[in-house]
Amino acid sequence: MGRISFDDVGRVFGPSNKGVVALQDINLGVEDREFVAIVGPSGCGKTTCLRLVAGFDFPSSGTVSVDGKTVRSPGPERAVVFQQFALFPWKTVYDNIEIGLRNQGVAREQRRERIGAILDLMGLQSYAESFPHQLSGGMQQRVAIARAYVLDPDVLLMDEPFGALDAQTRVVMQEELVRLARKNPRTVLFITHAVEEAVYLADRVAIMTRAPGRIKEIMDVASVRKAENWDSYERIEEVMDLESFVHMRTHIWRSLREEKAAQPAE
Amino acid sequence: MRQRTLIGVVTIAALIALWFLATTVLELVSPGRFPSPPDTIAALWHVMLGGYGGGTLIEHVYFSLRLVALGFIVAIVTGVPLGLLMGWSRRAEALINPIFLIIRPIPPLAWIPLAILWLGLGDGAKILVIWFAAFVPSVINSYAGVRNIDRPTLEAAAMLGMPRFRFVTEVLLPGASPMIFTGLRLSLQASWTTLVAAELVGAFYGLGRVLNVAQQDLYPGMILVGMIAVAILGWGTTRLLGLVETRALAWNQAALAAKG
Repeated sequence: MGRISFDDVGRVFGPSNKGVVALQDINLGVEDREFVAIVGPSGCGKTTCLRLVAGFDFPSSGTVSVDGKTVRSPGPERAVVFQQFALFPWKTVYDNIEIGLRNQGVAREQRRERIGAILDLMGLQSYAESFPHQLSGGMQQRVAIARAYVLDPDVLLMDEPFGALDAQTRVVMQEELVRLARKNPRTVLFITHAVEEAVYLADRVAIMTRAPGRIKEIMDVASVRKAENWDSYERIEEVMDLESFVHMRTHIWRSLREEKAAQPAE
Repeated sequence: MRQRTLIGVVTIAALIALWFLATTVLELVSPGRFPSPPDTIAALWHVMLGGYGGGTLIEHVYFSLRLVALGFIVAIVTGVPLGLLMGWSRRAEALINPIFLIIRPIPPLAWIPLAILWLGLGDGAKILVIWFAAFVPSVINSYAGVRNIDRPTLEAAAMLGMPRFRFVTEVLLPGASPMIFTGLRLSLQASWTTLVAAELVGAFYGLGRVLNVAQQDLYPGMILVGMIAVAILGWGTTRLLGLVETRALAWNQAALAAKG
């Protein structure tokens, strides 16, 4: 289970009469086990959308709910992967992944089993006793993804998770995430400003306007992916060369560029 | 690193040689104003073997060290949790901060007369004064340490469903610990400063007492012995704290190295 629903959501920062409107009239539903990416110009409020689902922030109007329940606080059933990893630097990789399970009261033996499995899956077996700072950025983000996945969350919230990584690592992580998502599907809300990443990963891509952020358009990628059989390609660059991919990407680029052009001259 | 140590040793040796030259050899400084090395060593034997100011050197060291340890521990056991609380809860901060603003400008040594009036010349008064002095840096640095924990780390803890007690022990405390240790070092220094001052004013034992009696006896050699003893103890205890810090913050050393 893991249905996310934004209903007429607005968010104003500062005093309500003269504050900054960050989000306006957001209506978006993410189905169970659907992968939705939100793209938009920087400062459009896409991260705010994610924070509302995570329970780190709350709407000024409208409601954000998961499985029909209004979000009131953060919780492990809505696991977050942060852009800056946000691992606990004083804990080893193993302890970082374990802490969420301990909080849920999972027995030690079961914890060991589940952590072992996720370490294998993420290629982290030999780093269990390392501290985060001994690892590269890509490895740290693997740990953060493992920490989220091990909780078996209803919803996975990813806030530009590959934004801090170099281009090569980024591609590897994108491929791995696809692999992970196919093997172990979750409801994912994925924030990014990288258009290719959004098209490659998501079932649907929501395009936002510049502030005040509204959802301008939602692109259905999943049907194209299925029709053109993208999943039969192993490598991201093969998919990115396909005409259907290029077409989709160009459409989103154009849509975003309009947003840039629409900026008022100051 | 080894070269640095070598230079340090050479500097100290040069200073001692200069001291010897200025007092004993050239007699530039009169022994009534500043003692020569032989005077100092004689005073050291005097207090070590025969005793001075009510006890032998070992007894004075024991008394001073014990009071510093007690005062320091009382200060950090109360100060660190209060600092963590103030860092975490805006309400606690709003409540406690005004009290701090009033008390902070009072130099800790200014509490000595009141402390003696309340508790006499015994241990209690000294522990109280050390507490006043050492408490503040513990609180302030623990507070700042919590405030320095970045927001994603706190949000990650909330997302992971951390229960309150575990949140304090496994997130707040380690997250703030680099700053907490800075506070502990300052607290330790403050403990020594105030203890010696308190013993100067009124005590039956301790290194401050030795200094006080030696001053009244016009005994510069003994004054210097007292000062050197305080310096060595201050250095030693700081060093000990440094060792604890290195062990406790091993992860942070790695983190700093990775950044640097």
